[in-house]
Amino acid sequence: MTENVEKLESGSDARRRILNIAVSTVLLETGFESADKISLETLTEMLQCFFTEIGNSAKGYCELSGRVEPVLGDVVMAMINMGISIQGLEQYAARPNRHVIQPPQQAPAPRTPSMLSAGSKAKHASHIPFYLPSLPDPHAYIRTPTHKQPVTEYEAIREKAATQKRDIERALTKFLAKTSETHNLFNTEDNQVFPLIACKPTFPAYLPCLLPTDQVFDFDELEYHFQVANRTEDVPAEKKDQSDNEGDNGGDNDNANSSQAESQDLPVNSSPDRNKSGG
Amino acid sequence: MQVGRTGLPSVAMDDDTGAGHVLSDFLLQLENYNPSIPDSVVAHYLNMSGFESQDPRLIRLIALASQKFLSDIANDALQHCKMRTSSQINQAKNQKGPKEKKYVMTMEDLAPALQEYGITARKPHYFV
Repeated sequence: MTENVEKLESGSDARRRILNIAVSTVLLETGFESADKISLETLTEMLQCFFTEIGNSAKGYCELSGRVEPVLGDVVMAMINMGISIQGLEQYAARPNRHVIQPPQQAPAPRTPSMLSAGSKAKHASHIPFYLPSLPDPHAYIRTPTHKQPVTEYEAIREKAATQKRDIERALTKFLAKTSETHNLFNTEDNQVFPLIACKPTFPAYLPCLLPTDQVFDFDELEYHFQVANRTEDVPAEKKDQSDNEGDNGGDNDNANSSQAESQDLPVNSSPDRNKSGG
Repeated sequence: MQVGRTGLPSVAMDDDTGAGHVLSDFLLQLENYNPSIPDSVVAHYLNMSGFESQDPRLIRLIALASQKFLSDIANDALQHCKMRTSSQINQAKNQKGPKEKKYVMTMEDLAPALQEYGITARKPHYFV
Protein backbone atom coordinates (compact mmCIF):
# COMPACT_ATOMS: atom_id res chain seq x y z
CA MET A 1 0.00 0.00 0.00
CA THR A 2 1.22 3.46 -0.70
CA GLU A 3 0.79 6.28 1.73
CA ASN A 4 2.16 9.76 1.83
CA VAL A 5 3.11 11.25 5.15
CA GLU A 6 1.12 14.29 6.19
CA LYS A 7 3.00 17.22 7.58
CA LEU A 8 0.49 18.58 10.06
CA GLU A 9 -0.33 16.66 13.17
CA SER A 10 -3.61 17.07 14.96
CA GLY A 11 -6.22 14.97 16.65
CA SER A 12 -8.45 14.65 13.64
CA ASP A 13 -5.47 13.94 11.43
CA ALA A 14 -4.34 11.13 13.67
CA ARG A 15 -7.73 9.48 13.51
CA ARG A 16 -7.90 10.02 9.80
CA ARG A 17 -4.61 8.27 9.42
CA ILE A 18 -5.92 5.36 11.44
CA LEU A 19 -8.80 5.15 9.00
CA ASN A 20 -6.28 5.21 6.20
CA ILE A 21 -4.50 2.31 7.76
CA ALA A 22 -7.77 0.46 8.22
CA VAL A 23 -8.69 0.94 4.58
CA SER A 24 -5.27 -0.24 3.54
CA THR A 25 -5.69 -3.31 5.71
CA VAL A 26 -8.96 -4.13 4.02
CA LEU A 27 -7.38 -3.71 0.62
CA LEU A 28 -4.54 -5.96 1.60
CA GLU A 29 -6.90 -8.64 2.74
CA THR A 30 -8.79 -8.38 -0.49
CA GLY A 31 -5.68 -9.06 -2.46
CA PHE A 32 -4.43 -5.72 -3.68
CA GLU A 33 -0.75 -5.03 -3.46
CA SER A 34 -0.84 -1.29 -3.64
CA ALA A 35 -3.28 1.49 -4.21
CA ASP A 36 -3.51 4.93 -5.66
CA LYS A 37 -3.38 7.79 -3.28
CA ILE A 38 -6.57 9.17 -4.63
CA SER A 39 -8.45 5.90 -4.38
CA LEU A 40 -7.19 5.45 -0.84
CA GLU A 41 -8.43 8.89 0.05
CA THR A 42 -11.75 8.21 -1.60
CA LEU A 43 -12.25 5.06 0.40
CA THR A 44 -11.20 6.77 3.62
CA GLU A 45 -13.66 9.53 2.99
CA MET A 46 -16.34 6.94 2.32
CA LEU A 47 -15.52 5.20 5.56
CA GLN A 48 -15.81 8.38 7.53
CA CYS A 49 -19.10 9.22 5.85
CA PHE A 50 -20.30 5.72 6.64
CA PHE A 51 -19.67 6.21 10.34
CA THR A 52 -21.28 9.60 10.33
CA GLU A 53 -24.33 8.39 8.50
CA ILE A 54 -24.80 5.33 10.69
CA GLY A 55 -24.40 7.44 13.77
CA ASN A 56 -26.93 9.97 12.60
CA SER A 57 -29.45 7.40 11.46
CA ALA A 58 -29.19 5.26 14.56
CA LYS A 59 -29.52 8.29 16.75
CA GLY A 60 -32.57 9.35 14.83
CA TYR A 61 -34.23 5.96 15.16
CA CYS A 62 -33.39 5.83 18.81
CA GLU A 63 -34.91 9.22 19.53
CA LEU A 64 -37.87 8.39 17.36
CA SER A 65 -38.84 5.66 19.77
CA GLY A 66 -38.41 7.92 22.73
CA ARG A 67 -35.11 6.62 23.99
CA VAL A 68 -31.81 8.31 24.60
CA GLU A 69 -29.37 5.45 24.37
CA PRO A 70 -29.18 3.64 21.08
CA VAL A 71 -29.80 -0.08 21.03
CA LEU A 72 -28.95 -2.85 18.61
CA GLY A 73 -32.29 -2.44 16.87
CA ASP A 74 -31.55 1.18 16.08
CA VAL A 75 -28.25 0.28 14.51
CA VAL A 76 -29.87 -2.50 12.50
CA MET A 77 -32.56 -0.15 11.24
CA ALA A 78 -29.94 2.40 10.30
CA MET A 79 -27.96 -0.16 8.37
CA ILE A 80 -31.01 -1.45 6.57
CA ASN A 81 -31.95 2.09 5.72
CA MET A 82 -28.57 2.62 4.15
CA GLY A 83 -28.79 -0.56 2.20
CA ILE A 84 -26.13 -2.45 4.03
CA SER A 85 -26.72 -6.12 4.19
CA ILE A 86 -26.71 -7.79 7.56
CA GLN A 87 -26.62 -11.35 6.38
CA GLY A 88 -22.97 -11.70 5.66
CA LEU A 89 -21.66 -10.08 8.80
CA GLU A 90 -21.15 -13.24 10.77
CA GLN A 91 -19.32 -14.95 7.97
CA TYR A 92 -17.21 -11.93 7.43
CA ALA A 93 -16.28 -11.89 11.06
CA ALA A 94 -15.11 -15.43 10.85
CA ARG A 95 -12.82 -14.95 7.91
CA PRO A 96 -9.36 -16.36 8.46
CA ASN A 97 -6.97 -13.61 7.49
CA ARG A 98 -7.63 -10.73 9.81
CA HIS A 99 -5.31 -7.95 10.69
CA VAL A 100 -5.89 -5.98 13.81
CA ILE A 101 -4.65 -2.44 14.03
CA GLN A 102 -3.07 -1.22 17.21
CA PRO A 103 -5.25 1.34 18.92
CA PRO A 104 -3.65 4.75 18.82
CA GLN A 105 -1.51 5.55 21.81
CA GLN A 106 -2.50 8.48 23.89
CA ALA A 107 -0.04 11.27 23.25
CA PRO A 108 0.85 13.07 26.47
CA ALA A 109 -0.94 16.38 26.55
CA PRO A 110 1.66 19.15 26.31
CA ARG A 111 1.86 20.77 29.69
CA THR A 112 1.82 24.54 29.47
CA PRO A 113 4.79 25.61 31.58
CA SER A 114 3.32 27.05 34.73
CA MET A 115 4.83 30.47 35.03
CA LEU A 116 4.67 32.68 38.05
CA SER A 117 2.96 30.08 40.15
CA ALA A 118 3.38 30.27 43.88
CA GLY A 119 2.17 27.42 45.98
CA SER A 120 0.06 24.46 44.95
CA LYS A 121 -3.41 24.89 43.59
CA ALA A 122 -6.16 23.52 45.76
CA LYS A 123 -8.23 20.59 44.52
CA HIS A 124 -11.82 20.90 43.46
CA ALA A 125 -14.42 20.64 46.16
CA SER A 126 -16.83 17.75 45.82
CA HIS A 127 -19.57 19.85 44.32
CA ILE A 128 -17.40 21.12 41.47
CA PRO A 129 -17.32 18.94 38.32
CA PHE A 130 -13.93 17.62 37.35
CA TYR A 131 -13.93 19.02 33.86
CA LEU A 132 -13.95 22.62 35.00
CA PRO A 133 -10.54 24.32 35.06
CA SER A 134 -8.52 24.10 38.20
CA LEU A 135 -8.56 26.69 40.92
CA PRO A 136 -6.03 29.55 40.73
CA ASP A 137 -3.03 29.91 42.99
CA PRO A 138 -4.10 29.94 46.61
CA HIS A 139 -2.64 33.36 47.32
CA ALA A 140 -5.04 34.85 44.80
CA TYR A 141 -8.14 34.20 46.85
CA ILE A 142 -7.11 32.98 50.30
CA ARG A 143 -6.12 35.59 52.82
CA THR A 144 -3.88 34.43 55.62
CA PRO A 145 -2.72 36.91 58.24
CA THR A 146 0.97 37.63 58.16
CA HIS A 147 1.42 37.67 61.89
CA LYS A 148 -0.24 36.34 64.96
CA GLN A 149 -2.48 38.37 67.16
CA PRO A 150 -0.09 40.29 69.39
CA VAL A 151 -0.22 39.66 73.11
CA THR A 152 -2.23 42.32 74.84
CA GLU A 153 -1.79 41.21 78.44
CA TYR A 154 -0.36 43.94 80.58
CA GLU A 155 2.09 41.63 82.31
CA ALA A 156 3.48 40.22 79.12
CA ILE A 157 3.91 43.65 77.58
CA ARG A 158 5.66 45.02 80.62
CA GLU A 159 7.97 42.07 80.64
CA LYS A 160 8.68 42.45 76.97
CA ALA A 161 9.45 46.11 77.32
CA ALA A 162 11.76 45.48 80.23
CA THR A 163 13.57 42.73 78.39
CA GLN A 164 13.98 44.89 75.36
CA LYS A 165 15.34 47.78 77.41
CA ARG A 166 17.81 45.57 79.16
CA ASP A 167 18.95 44.02 75.90
CA ILE A 168 19.39 47.39 74.30
CA GLU A 169 21.46 48.67 77.18
CA ARG A 170 23.65 45.60 77.22
CA ALA A 171 24.21 45.68 73.51
CA LEU A 172 25.01 49.35 73.51
CA THR A 173 27.47 49.13 76.38
CA LYS A 174 29.18 46.19 74.78
CA PHE A 175 29.49 48.11 71.57
CA LEU A 176 30.98 51.12 73.28
CA ALA A 177 33.34 48.94 75.25
CA LYS A 178 34.60 47.45 72.02
CA THR A 179 34.92 50.65 70.05
CA SER A 180 35.73 53.53 72.38
CA GLU A 181 38.37 53.97 75.03
CA THR A 182 38.23 51.60 77.94
CA HIS A 183 39.59 51.34 81.45
CA ASN A 184 40.58 48.07 82.98
CA LEU A 185 38.92 46.81 86.08
CA PHE A 186 42.01 44.83 87.01
CA ASN A 187 45.46 46.13 86.89
CA THR A 188 46.63 43.80 84.13
CA GLU A 189 47.47 44.17 80.50
CA ASP A 190 44.55 42.10 79.43
CA ASN A 191 41.95 44.46 78.05
CA GLN A 192 39.19 42.11 77.13
CA VAL A 193 38.05 40.57 80.33
CA PHE A 194 36.15 43.35 82.11
CA PRO A 195 36.34 46.46 80.00
CA LEU A 196 34.82 49.59 81.40
CA ILE A 197 33.86 52.49 79.27
CA ALA A 198 36.33 55.20 79.90
CA CYS A 199 34.97 58.16 81.71
CA LYS A 200 36.24 61.38 80.28
CA PRO A 201 35.92 64.08 82.83
CA THR A 202 35.46 67.57 81.58
CA PHE A 203 37.06 70.61 83.10
CA PRO A 204 35.51 72.23 84.99
CA ALA A 205 33.25 69.32 85.98
CA TYR A 206 30.36 71.43 87.26
CA LEU A 207 30.00 73.47 84.06
CA PRO A 208 27.48 71.39 82.11
CA CYS A 209 25.27 71.34 85.19
CA LEU A 210 25.28 75.08 85.46
CA LEU A 211 24.58 75.70 81.79
CA PRO A 212 21.51 73.89 80.52
CA THR A 213 21.72 73.28 76.81
CA ASP A 214 19.48 72.07 74.06
CA GLN A 215 20.07 68.73 72.49
CA VAL A 216 22.58 68.81 69.66
CA PHE A 217 21.54 66.82 66.65
CA ASP A 218 24.25 67.68 64.20
CA PHE A 219 27.62 68.92 65.33
CA ASP A 220 28.55 70.23 61.89
CA GLU A 221 25.47 72.34 61.87
CA LEU A 222 26.30 73.51 65.34
CA GLU A 223 29.72 74.60 64.20
CA TYR A 224 28.19 76.46 61.30
CA HIS A 225 25.79 78.27 63.54
CA PHE A 226 28.64 79.12 65.84
CA GLN A 227 30.53 80.66 62.98
CA VAL A 228 27.47 82.47 61.73
CA ALA A 229 26.63 83.70 65.15
CA ASN A 230 30.10 85.07 65.79
CA ARG A 231 30.40 87.07 62.62
CA THR A 232 31.50 90.55 63.43
CA GLU A 233 31.35 92.11 60.00
CA ASP A 234 27.58 91.91 59.95
CA VAL A 235 24.91 94.05 61.53
CA PRO A 236 25.88 94.96 65.02
CA ALA A 237 23.36 92.76 66.77
CA GLU A 238 24.66 92.00 70.21
CA LYS A 239 21.23 90.83 71.13
CA LYS A 240 21.23 88.66 68.11
CA ASP A 241 24.55 87.17 69.17
CA GLN A 242 23.27 86.51 72.61
CA SER A 243 20.14 84.76 71.45
CA ASP A 244 22.06 82.68 68.94
CA ASN A 245 24.70 81.66 71.40
CA GLU A 246 22.22 80.71 74.03
CA GLY A 247 20.29 78.58 71.63
CA ASP A 248 23.28 76.88 70.09
CA ASN A 249 25.24 75.77 73.08
CA GLY A 250 25.78 72.08 72.74
CA GLY A 251 26.23 69.85 75.73
CA ASP A 252 26.25 66.15 74.83
CA ASN A 253 28.56 64.30 77.13
CA ASP A 254 29.64 61.16 75.39
CA ASN A 255 32.11 60.80 72.57
CA ALA A 256 32.68 63.98 70.68
CA ASN A 257 35.51 65.75 72.39
CA SER A 258 35.29 68.51 69.82
CA SER A 259 31.84 69.36 71.00
CA GLN A 260 33.19 69.40 74.50
CA ALA A 261 35.80 71.89 73.42
CA GLU A 262 33.19 73.99 71.67
CA SER A 263 30.87 73.97 74.55
CA GLN A 264 33.75 75.04 76.69
CA ASP A 265 34.52 77.85 74.31
CA LEU A 266 31.01 79.06 73.79
CA PRO A 267 30.06 79.58 77.36
CA VAL A 268 33.30 81.45 77.84
CA ASN A 269 32.30 83.77 75.03
CA SER A 270 28.75 84.19 75.98
CA SER A 271 29.07 84.59 79.69
CA PRO A 272 30.83 87.91 79.44
CA ASP A 273 28.05 89.00 77.00
CA ARG A 274 25.43 87.97 79.41
CA ASN A 275 27.16 89.74 82.16
CA LYS A 276 27.20 92.78 79.98
CA SER A 277 23.54 92.59 79.13
CA GLY A 278 22.67 91.75 82.65
CA GLY A 279 24.72 94.53 83.91
CA MET B 1 -36.75 0.57 1.31
CA GLN B 2 -34.35 1.91 -1.18
CA VAL B 3 -31.59 -0.50 -2.06
CA GLY B 4 -28.41 0.85 -3.55
CA ARG B 5 -27.06 -2.32 -4.95
CA THR B 6 -28.63 -3.80 -8.03
CA GLY B 7 -29.82 -7.35 -8.08
CA LEU B 8 -29.86 -8.03 -4.38
CA PRO B 9 -33.05 -8.58 -2.50
CA SER B 10 -33.96 -6.27 0.29
CA VAL B 11 -32.73 -7.35 3.62
CA ALA B 12 -34.32 -9.29 6.40
CA MET B 13 -37.76 -9.72 4.94
CA ASP B 14 -37.37 -13.43 4.36
CA ASP B 15 -35.84 -14.28 7.69
CA ASP B 16 -38.04 -16.28 9.91
CA THR B 17 -36.32 -15.15 13.05
CA GLY B 18 -35.99 -11.50 12.07
CA ALA B 19 -32.82 -9.52 11.67
CA GLY B 20 -32.71 -8.36 15.24
CA HIS B 21 -32.67 -11.86 16.63
CA VAL B 22 -29.91 -12.91 14.31
CA LEU B 23 -27.70 -10.16 15.34
CA SER B 24 -28.43 -10.34 19.04
CA ASP B 25 -26.69 -13.71 19.08
CA PHE B 26 -23.90 -12.25 17.08
CA LEU B 27 -23.59 -9.41 19.53
CA LEU B 28 -22.66 -11.84 22.25
CA GLN B 29 -19.88 -13.18 20.09
CA LEU B 30 -18.58 -9.71 19.55
CA GLU B 31 -17.42 -9.33 23.10
CA ASN B 32 -14.12 -11.00 22.41
CA TYR B 33 -13.80 -9.93 18.85
CA ASN B 34 -11.58 -7.07 17.78
CA PRO B 35 -12.23 -5.61 14.39
CA SER B 36 -9.43 -4.04 12.46
CA ILE B 37 -10.48 -0.52 13.26
CA PRO B 38 -9.79 0.45 16.87
CA ASP B 39 -12.78 1.09 19.06
CA SER B 40 -11.74 4.56 20.07
CA VAL B 41 -11.53 5.84 16.51
CA VAL B 42 -14.94 4.49 15.59
CA ALA B 43 -16.43 5.81 18.80
CA HIS B 44 -15.01 9.21 18.09
CA TYR B 45 -16.60 9.45 14.67
CA LEU B 46 -19.90 8.19 16.01
CA ASN B 47 -19.78 10.71 18.81
CA MET B 48 -19.25 13.43 16.27
CA SER B 49 -22.66 12.67 14.81
CA GLY B 50 -24.39 12.28 18.13
CA PHE B 51 -24.29 8.54 18.65
CA GLU B 52 -23.05 7.75 22.12
CA SER B 53 -23.04 4.21 23.35
CA GLN B 54 -21.57 2.69 26.43
CA ASP B 55 -21.76 -0.75 24.91
CA PRO B 56 -18.54 -1.56 23.05
CA ARG B 57 -20.18 -4.41 21.20
CA LEU B 58 -22.37 -2.01 19.30
CA ILE B 59 -19.30 -0.04 18.28
CA ARG B 60 -17.62 -3.19 17.11
CA LEU B 61 -20.67 -4.18 15.15
CA ILE B 62 -20.61 -0.89 13.30
CA ALA B 63 -16.88 -1.19 12.71
CA LEU B 64 -17.36 -4.66 11.34
CA ALA B 65 -20.17 -3.52 9.09
CA SER B 66 -18.03 -0.73 7.70
CA GLN B 67 -15.20 -3.13 7.09
CA LYS B 68 -17.45 -5.47 5.22
CA PHE B 69 -18.79 -2.58 3.21
CA LEU B 70 -15.29 -1.61 2.19
CA SER B 71 -14.22 -5.12 1.46
CA ASP B 72 -17.22 -5.65 -0.80
CA ILE B 73 -16.28 -2.58 -2.78
CA ALA B 74 -12.66 -3.69 -2.86
CA ASN B 75 -13.66 -7.10 -4.11
CA ASP B 76 -15.67 -5.58 -6.90
CA ALA B 77 -12.74 -3.36 -7.78
CA LEU B 78 -10.49 -6.38 -7.78
CA GLN B 79 -12.80 -8.10 -10.23
CA HIS B 80 -12.59 -5.10 -12.51
CA CYS B 81 -8.85 -5.05 -12.17
CA LYS B 82 -8.52 -8.72 -12.95
CA MET B 83 -10.75 -8.39 -15.97
CA ARG B 84 -8.64 -5.58 -17.26
CA THR B 85 -5.29 -7.24 -16.68
CA SER B 86 -6.47 -10.57 -18.05
CA SER B 87 -7.68 -8.88 -21.22
CA GLN B 88 -4.38 -7.07 -21.49
CA ILE B 89 -2.46 -10.31 -21.07
CA ASN B 90 -4.54 -12.00 -23.70
CA GLN B 91 -3.86 -9.14 -26.03
CA ALA B 92 -0.15 -9.22 -25.40
CA LYS B 93 -0.11 -12.97 -25.90
CA ASN B 94 2.16 -13.57 -22.96
CA GLN B 95 3.57 -17.13 -23.13
CA LYS B 96 5.07 -17.18 -19.66
CA GLY B 97 3.46 -19.16 -16.92
CA PRO B 98 1.08 -17.51 -14.58
CA LYS B 99 3.36 -15.06 -12.88
CA GLU B 100 2.52 -13.52 -9.64
CA LYS B 101 0.15 -10.72 -10.40
CA LYS B 102 0.33 -7.58 -8.42
CA TYR B 103 -2.85 -5.63 -8.34
CA VAL B 104 -2.85 -1.94 -7.87
CA MET B 105 -6.03 -0.24 -6.90
CA THR B 106 -6.59 2.80 -9.06
CA MET B 107 -9.49 5.06 -9.71
CA GLU B 108 -10.10 3.24 -12.96
CA ASP B 109 -11.14 0.16 -11.00
CA LEU B 110 -12.73 1.96 -8.15
CA ALA B 111 -15.03 4.22 -10.11
CA PRO B 112 -17.08 1.50 -11.82
CA ALA B 113 -17.17 -0.49 -8.58
CA LEU B 114 -18.60 2.48 -6.78
CA GLN B 115 -20.97 3.14 -9.62
CA GLU B 116 -22.74 -0.11 -8.81
CA TYR B 117 -23.33 1.14 -5.33
CA GLY B 118 -24.73 4.39 -6.58
CA ILE B 119 -21.72 6.41 -5.49
CA THR B 120 -20.33 8.62 -8.17
CA ALA B 121 -16.67 9.39 -7.69
CA ARG B 122 -15.27 11.98 -9.98
CA LYS B 123 -11.83 13.44 -10.01
CA PRO B 124 -11.88 17.18 -9.44
CA HIS B 125 -10.81 19.24 -12.39
CA TYR B 126 -8.40 21.30 -10.36
CA PHE B 127 -6.99 21.17 -6.92
CA VAL B 128 -9.13 22.86 -4.39
